Amino acid sequence: MAATVSEPSWNPLRCGGTMLPVNLLVMAKSIAIALLLTNHVALLPDPFLPFIPGLDHLPPVLFQRTLQVLFVASALALLFNRSVRLSAFVLGMTIIVSVLASKAYYGNNKTFCGFVLFLIGLYEPGKEPWMIRLQLVLVYFGAGSNKLLDTDWRTGVFFQNWAANRLHQPVFIAVSSYLPQLVLAKAISWFTIATELGLSGVFLVRRLFPLGIWGNLVLHSSMLFFTGSTFTMFFYAMTASMLAFASWPARPMLVIFDGDCGFCALTKGWVERLDLEQMLEWRPYQSGVGLRYGITDTDANKRLYLVNGDRIYSGFSAFKMMVLCNPISYLLTYTVLAAPGSGDSRFRNIVVAVLLVLFSPLFQPVGDALYALVARNRRSLVANSNCSIE
Amino acid sequence: MKTIVAAALLLFQVVMIVYARFVPSRYFCWAPFDIQTEYKLQVEVDGRTLSGKEVRARYRRPQNGTDNRSPQHVMDIVQGYEESYGRNNPARVVMRYRVNGKDEQVWRWPQQ
Repeated sequence: MAATVSEPSWNPLRCGGTMLPVNLLVMAKSIAIALLLTNHVALLPDPFLPFIPGLDHLPPVLFQRTLQVLFVASALALLFNRSVRLSAFVLGMTIIVSVLASKAYYGNNKTFCGFVLFLIGLYEPGKEPWMIRLQLVLVYFGAGSNKLLDTDWRTGVFFQNWAANRLHQPVFIAVSSYLPQLVLAKAISWFTIATELGLSGVFLVRRLFPLGIWGNLVLHSSMLFFTGSTFTMFFYAMTASMLAFASWPARPMLVIFDGDCGFCALTKGWVERLDLEQMLEWRPYQSGVGLRYGITDTDANKRLYLVNGDRIYSGFSAFKMMVLCNPISYLLTYTVLAAPGSGDSRFRNIVVAVLLVLFSPLFQPVGDALYALVARNRRSLVANSNCSIE
Repeated sequence: MKTIVAAALLLFQVVMIVYARFVPSRYFCWAPFDIQTEYKLQVEVDGRTLSGKEVRARYRRPQNGTDNRSPQHVMDIVQGYEESYGRNNPARVVMRYRVNGKDEQVWRWPQQ
């Protein structure tokens, strides 16, 4: 994906016109938003039992303050589209240096954030982000293989102790009471192992990326629901990283709509206001543009169409694509998810659950039915609406 | 150059994943929440038992806590502190811990 040429905007909701492709910048910004809203800057350490000898000879207060200033400055620079690759690199480095400087600070979630931002900072325009993708492969391979080779994971002992004795997970305790000892724990353990190792393989095959993205989102959302924890930054960073596997539109998508419809025009107006990257080109069907894509009058009267390259979406699917291809969707989502802070949040769980359901293939029939209902009654939704096609 | 640096970072992680198979610690090998260690630290300095607050200030870990990766990480912190910052103010440490809810084990510093 080639970077666009225009001057970067100061608007944090804009993600085009920088040296990063839109999807990678959205990914970096989403992680930065979560880091800032969870007040991660307060966790950055002074040197303490560093992995690299000698780091604890540096003046501790100066070291910590420097890291904190660089952390906040680079995160804000990233949000405001200032030297985005350098900003991502610096933000990643502040976390990596913090990890290397303090065994007490060390954590997998922080290390992952640092590595991913670092790799985004090293991105070279015009190339596929394979290094970032390989980073995800390694995470899942490391996690899955470690569990596979751990006796307590294979037997279910770890999961039984964690779910029942540590988390006091009520659903797990209730269900496992009906089963022989360790059966449920063992089943969940092996499912987790298989999922993690499976994802490490899936993310190496381009045509399996959509499956991998869904696997990731379901896995980490399940962990969120089961434990009530985002594992500090892990949930945010792992889900945001899926943007490295997303096929982001390289050029504006064509939206074919009924130009005689007042409700359609109203909807178009609202969507255009939020389309800051101007990724949607709206053309009325009456212009004849739909004919080259095989869209008939009958089709256009029933639903809206969106053309993205050689793929055509209609109705509810078209609206989903508009949402998924708008950076604001992700920036707003991570802001809402991270806003409650680092503790358990029923609000966060509900938002995640609703988003998963709405965008899952299982909801498609419901979405199509709702879309058809609105489309059939659109004349009565807007005054003076004329939706006939002559 | 950028590709080389990125590749080196990834290669480092591959090495650490393999290395983890031979050591009890779990650093940089992507083993999050794979071991639940519940521990209690009893720390004595000059014959006086430290309070919970003092233990946390000394090791930056709670006196009674959990580690989600490996008990070795807690031991590394205690041993690392005592071999460096605590040399002039040595402590005798007894760490009682359970891994994944199994039988209690004891680790002592200085090691006998």
